[in-house]
Amino acid sequence: MRSISGIDIAGGIVVITILALAPMLAASNYLTGVLTVCAIYGIWASSWDFMSGLTGRENFGHSLFIGAGAYTAGFLATIWSTNPWLSLPMAVGIAIAFSLLVGFPTLRLRGPYFALAMLSASAILQRLCLIFWEYTGGEEGLYGLDPLIKNPLHYYWFVLGVLAITVVILTLLAQSHWGLLLRAIRGDEATCQAAGINVTFYKIASLMISAGFAGLGGALYAHYQLQVSPPLFSVVVSITVIIMVYVGGIGSIYGAAIAAILLTLLTEMLRGFGEYRLWIYTLTLMLILFFLPNGLIAPLWRRLTERLR
Amino acid sequence: MLQILIYGAVSSAIYAMLAVGFTLIFGVARILNLAHGSFYALGAYAAYVLTSLFKVPLFLAAPLAVLLVAGFGVVMERFLVRPLRSSQLAVLMITLAVSLAVEQALFITFGSEYRNVPSFVADKLSIGGVDISGQRLLALVAGVLVLLTLWLFIQRTRLGAAILAVSQDPEAAQYMGIPTNRIFSIVMAISAGTAALAGVLVSPFLTVQPTMGLLPMVKAFAIVIVGGLGSIPGSIIASLILGYSETIVAYLISSSWTELVSLVAVVVTLMIRPSGILGRRAAF
Repeated sequence: MRSISGIDIAGGIVVITILALAPMLAASNYLTGVLTVCAIYGIWASSWDFMSGLTGRENFGHSLFIGAGAYTAGFLATIWSTNPWLSLPMAVGIAIAFSLLVGFPTLRLRGPYFALAMLSASAILQRLCLIFWEYTGGEEGLYGLDPLIKNPLHYYWFVLGVLAITVVILTLLAQSHWGLLLRAIRGDEATCQAAGINVTFYKIASLMISAGFAGLGGALYAHYQLQVSPPLFSVVVSITVIIMVYVGGIGSIYGAAIAAILLTLLTEMLRGFGEYRLWIYTLTLMLILFFLPNGLIAPLWRRLTERLR
Repeated sequence: MLQILIYGAVSSAIYAMLAVGFTLIFGVARILNLAHGSFYALGAYAAYVLTSLFKVPLFLAAPLAVLLVAGFGVVMERFLVRPLRSSQLAVLMITLAVSLAVEQALFITFGSEYRNVPSFVADKLSIGGVDISGQRLLALVAGVLVLLTLWLFIQRTRLGAAILAVSQDPEAAQYMGIPTNRIFSIVMAISAGTAALAGVLVSPFLTVQPTMGLLPMVKAFAIVIVGGLGSIPGSIIASLILGYSETIVAYLISSSWTELVSLVAVVVTLMIRPSGILGRRAAF
């Protein structure tokens, strides 16, 4: 990964300014709402990219952390009715706890165990939500969360700020010595181990970071929707996030965030297609897998800025 | 007691049919097929379409459904998986995409309501005082027969020997003149066919709906991890363990808790013996 230059920072500021001003285009809460969801997906996609993109360990159950964060917010609001702001740190903590639960037994191993275990764990948690409906509200989920910020526009700016901070933190981490180690693990795990690097520690720690941000995004989503329901745990959420990262260019983090925003806007425009929406998604994925194995956003940005540096 | 014995055997047989195909395609072609559950769902839906819409008699509809799904598996392997085989992540993504596409297609064509498939055998049997529907018993018998046939096929025939050779070392097998790509197609057909057969057999007594493939696939993962990735005898043993422990849990505690059994089994296996009961390759 090349280092950040002035042009990257300038590009980032321009994108954030455009996004912050975008709701002014039409004074409708609808657009603001869509953009809020865009920013939340951006947090999810960049957090997935940090762990899986850098270490090459595909996480097929990111929705586990998203759902854990969202349900933490839901339980705090409906059962203990605490201050809604408390749910953000709690969601991060619970998501990290789940990452340890799955990461410890599976990330020590090579092979596809981690991917399978994450996929199964998220699917089983979704089932458990339906089975223990007395506590989780079953199919309907939990209702009546309080908004963090009453004004939707202000909430959007808050979420956008969280996204910006997430991308900056994750990019700085990826650029650091740490990120170098993670990418070395993707390249050749055995050599890393031979060089005295505690490979398992770095993989689990990066999963914890990834899970923490995903849980934070989940809680933000819960306080936007004001309800949580079992589909948050579904495989579809995980795969949507992975597609976004793929389109953005794996391992670039900023690409994942931008692709998440663009694809969420795209699906919103495709809402007229109703149930065909996921089909179009799946089709996009297949086309990108075949024709653009390196993704779209990050390679494009690299090519655009090559002349300018 | 006898009830646990019989019902446990039935669910073990169904799990084994699913898990064996999943582990076979991984062991031979190194394809981790996340679309395996959709073969199961497609089998059930094919049986439904053939019997309810085209009025095909059931004994004819069942093999036809299995063949159709096997064909689907071969086409998927040839045109979607094979071009991407160089990257493990791409294979995972494409098979996951296929499974989502199938689920959505079923949802769009049939809606989310449950569908019914007529029973193969309507009679109820009573074994030692335990009532069991003939359909469940048929699933058990068919499962055992399929596994036996598969075992004999791999151990005794020339083609089976070729499959074993490819699973041990694809490159060396290719040098010996074994057409590896054709073997992959055949194994995919077997794998998809057994999953579809499991779907056809359970369709009369379980709910047929678009998302029906996901949970059995999760169970198949669990079984394959417990038994050892790529090991057929391992996955049969693990099917028995999981099938019986789920039945016992359902009987003693509550059927709600059965979903946890596979998760616990996976976690315990990965902590104690990551390569599974009979896994050949060390997982770490």
